[in-house]
Amino acid sequence: MLERRDKMTLKDKYAIVGVGHTRIGKVPEMSDYGLQVEAAKRAMDDAGLKKTDIDGMITHSHMLGGIRVHHQRVAQRLGMDTAFGVSISTGGATSCVMAQLAAAAIEAGFCHTVLCVHGDKALTRGGETHDGDREFGPEFGLFGAAAVHAFGATRHMHEYGTTHDHLGAIAVACRKHAQLNPHAQIRKPMSLQDYHDSAWIVWPYHMLDCCLRSDGAAAFIVTSAERARDLRTRPVYIMGMGRANNSRGPYHGDHMIETGGKASGEQAFRMAGITPRDIDVAQIYDCFTYIAMVTLEDYGFCKKGEGGPFVSGGRVELGGELPINTSGGMLSEGYVEGMLQIVEGVRQMRGECGPRQVKDAEIGIVSGNGGNAVCHSTLILRR
Amino acid sequence: MSEYTKPLPMPAEDSVPFWNAARRHELSLQKCGTCGAFRFPPAPVCPECTELGGEWARLSGRGRIFSFVVFHRAYHKGFEKELPYAVAVVELEEGPRLVSNIIGIAPDKLRCDMKVEAVFEDVTPDCSLPKFKPA
Repeated sequence: MLERRDKMTLKDKYAIVGVGHTRIGKVPEMSDYGLQVEAAKRAMDDAGLKKTDIDGMITHSHMLGGIRVHHQRVAQRLGMDTAFGVSISTGGATSCVMAQLAAAAIEAGFCHTVLCVHGDKALTRGGETHDGDREFGPEFGLFGAAAVHAFGATRHMHEYGTTHDHLGAIAVACRKHAQLNPHAQIRKPMSLQDYHDSAWIVWPYHMLDCCLRSDGAAAFIVTSAERARDLRTRPVYIMGMGRANNSRGPYHGDHMIETGGKASGEQAFRMAGITPRDIDVAQIYDCFTYIAMVTLEDYGFCKKGEGGPFVSGGRVELGGELPINTSGGMLSEGYVEGMLQIVEGVRQMRGECGPRQVKDAEIGIVSGNGGNAVCHSTLILRR
Repeated sequence: MSEYTKPLPMPAEDSVPFWNAARRHELSLQKCGTCGAFRFPPAPVCPECTELGGEWARLSGRGRIFSFVVFHRAYHKGFEKELPYAVAVVELEEGPRLVSNIIGIAPDKLRCDMKVEAVFEDVTPDCSLPKFKPA
């Protein structure tokens, strides 16, 4: 039985061989498909692959509700035939799950090289991104993703004494890193006092606790380690994978203060055969500062409840013990629902990040968190 | 009588008895006939033991604030005049947690674990909303 389990591990069998993204921010002149197709092309060029080299596609898009075969529409515009094509969503956990599903599809023999794409026009389009509930929420004034995530922060503050200084440290780190990224949507300097002074959206969230809204798309390409070795770009191997959901809901049990990251992180570390101490750089899904902080706890970088002190004092900034969100995160680089976290995670492993490169980075972790704090996914990447 | 401009609940088929009970100023949920658990939201199956069925039963109305948030921006015009207003996740004595408002106390005085009890607000002739006040 043990032998069979070893043979089944996907550790290091698959690699990300191309990444790309469009301009991030306000891109009124491009359509959803335009952004998605441009990101796909950039990833293909990065990998040195032609459309005929790709036979799988997985997409995620806000258009999924109305356009169920979104992957086909993207493939059509790229002039691509795909043996394996699917459009999925697990909210903000989708991006890391796309990489895992790509690996699983290749492992199963459904295809050999998979293009994963997500893009949105949220900033230009405006409005709320999530469909509203019809009862047990709106009638009491409960609207939007921020509020559902904010309940967790209130409870965490109550149970552990977490403060706004702690949450602000994450916002400050991401902005500092964004300033080193010419593509970042917001690069204006921000101090901890600026964070405290920013308007309340839904207490305990300030505006600067909340991720940006962006137009933009990003893509990455997954193939086997064998195929990757022949390509022009240095492959980045997927060393660990995890996924877990707090399926009983955001208000159930202790889900407000412990995310699916606990189980998802454990799986990824177990597959990779490493511990949190081995991680050199982390791209942590920061829809809200609180979610980034609690994810670090759940991954075991610190004890439950100690996330606040852990992220303080520069520990999560470049030059600190565990730099996070080195391109600015969703808080300052832009929101493409977790895709830019994978793009930056890959680039850090390749050593391509210039002034924001973590020196000698060999192993990185990427998280995804979605569905209003209930779905979680994890990738561990290595050179 | 001035017009009620906030959203009204649009009950799913499963939820109709909940809202009928609320109109009678009663807090009622389904109690599983097999394992005894109360469930929320209303549903045909018990999420604890997966058995079908369950009878609607009245709850004590007592609970605690498990968590809360305070809106400072109006996502809906009907709430503009109430800013800032709080929304709470209330944990009922019987177990389920549901979303509601806490009345009779300023948002900045709310605390997690504060004991509360259910009250009912008749917002239209056909609809009453279960809310909570400090106990």
